[in-house]
Amino acid sequence: MAILEVRNLTHTYSGNSPFMNDAVKDVSFTVEKGEIIGIIGHTGSGKSTLVQHLNGLLKPTEGNVLFENEDIWENPKEIRKIRSKVGLVFQYPEYQLFEETVFKDISFGPRNMGLESEALENTVKEICGIVGVKPEFFEKSPFDLSGGEKRRVAIAGVMAMKPQVIVFDEPTAGLDPKGREDVMEIIRSYRKATNATVIIISHSMEDMAALADKVIVMNKGSLYMFGTAREVFSHSDELRKIGLNVPIVSQVFEALGLNNIPLTVDEAVEILKKRVGDNA
Amino acid sequence: MLKDITFGQYYDATSVVHKCDPRVKILLMIAFIVLIFVSQNMFSLAFACVSVIFVLLISRVPIKLFLKNLKAIWVVLAFTAVINLFYSNTGKVLVSFWIVEITTGGVYRAVFMALRIILLIFISSVLTYTTTPNSLTDGIESLLSPLKYIGLKNAVHIFAMMMTIALRFIPTLIEEAEKIMNAQKARGADLENGSLVERVKALIPILIPLLISSVRRAYELAEAMECRCYNGGVGKTRMKQLTLSVSDLYAIIFIAVFTCGIIGLNIIF
Repeated sequence: MAILEVRNLTHTYSGNSPFMNDAVKDVSFTVEKGEIIGIIGHTGSGKSTLVQHLNGLLKPTEGNVLFENEDIWENPKEIRKIRSKVGLVFQYPEYQLFEETVFKDISFGPRNMGLESEALENTVKEICGIVGVKPEFFEKSPFDLSGGEKRRVAIAGVMAMKPQVIVFDEPTAGLDPKGREDVMEIIRSYRKATNATVIIISHSMEDMAALADKVIVMNKGSLYMFGTAREVFSHSDELRKIGLNVPIVSQVFEALGLNNIPLTVDEAVEILKKRVGDNA
Repeated sequence: MLKDITFGQYYDATSVVHKCDPRVKILLMIAFIVLIFVSQNMFSLAFACVSVIFVLLISRVPIKLFLKNLKAIWVVLAFTAVINLFYSNTGKVLVSFWIVEITTGGVYRAVFMALRIILLIFISSVLTYTTTPNSLTDGIESLLSPLKYIGLKNAVHIFAMMMTIALRFIPTLIEEAEKIMNAQKARGADLENGSLVERVKALIPILIPLLISSVRRAYELAEAMECRCYNGGVGKTRMKQLTLSVSDLYAIIFIAVFTCGIIGLNIIF
């Protein structure tokens, strides 16, 4: 079942800045329930503008966004309700932390949804369990945490609203390898616990290949490609033309002139083992 | 909402006003402001109106932009006009209820005051629209330089640098504030509805992250400046020296005529 549908979405910034016009042009795609969708595109290709339409932060200049077959702008006064159904984690979400304690900060979202006392506390604790925020952190100030931990708390702050669709705008930007792996793990465990649909913007082709069921390629505000990760990454030349690439393992196999091209290291290992086995 | 803030915004164009030396422009703007307050009667104020409109036209900045500045202060404007409406009891009584009465004198006064404020806004926007923030602070630094001789050696430079930085970071802060607002809205924050108290409370999740990021930014900027060997104003030379040109002469002549006009009209009528 389609949970989210974008129909002919166009967004024009009304500002008089010449290079900002038509940030998104006539984009259409459908997201099925439970899918993981990756969005890739060079800087300024309209990815961030596109995802801000999914929870109604931006209103389409033309076109519609449908959540469970209903136009989210049907009743503009109710637009705030969509934000708890479609969560959006911005780039560097740790910059939105503001409360005195970690626990209070994570409960900001659910409290805005109207949850109170015990229900609120249970929800926050449940989410902390899923994303791995330890109870001893609850009463700490979010500003005393390390960079990676701050991001974990900030992501938990959005997840605490239990959105059915959760969108991440470059969730691993600026983190060390351990931090990146942690964020990916948080996303996986949230999905496992809630069966949520996940949309991720990323510049890491490796993460996309490992995680995404389908990949959307944006170029200059338009939808350039939309298909399964394997389909999209089989067009390596086109991707390179618009400033993107395929995962490094794929590049290696391509450079070696092999025709069975893997997307992830695990796949590559399988293929190589087979070859070695055949030769031995 | 935040995009309405146009203070410190430069509008690029080629005009006599743009070419003027910032020092001359600052001094002339001060003169203009003083003279607008000096105007005592309808005739001198009308003359001031014509002169201000003349300056607006030759600055080649779209009139729309000036009107936009007015939109931001219309509350102040309306408030002043209404207060002044009741302030005078000269002239014919137009409306009278309870203990207040509105007279022709009051109406005249209200219009007069409102017009003065509009002129003030217009003439000070000419300065910010036609002068880049950098040359504006250069001008201020140069104008304040006599203070060096009374023991405030580095203070003038520091003050000018602070102003440059403040002006430079207005757009950055606006952008940052918008980002944080979006992030909190995505967490269900309600910024548009509710009572006054609720709305002020709703600002906390925006102001705290904004404050923290400003402090962070300040540290980063200080480090970057030190990396480029910034050590205050001592011994610093300028890439662009301020020099007076023909446009400045025109400007001075214009303001002389304007001064004579206002004072003359004040005396005659």
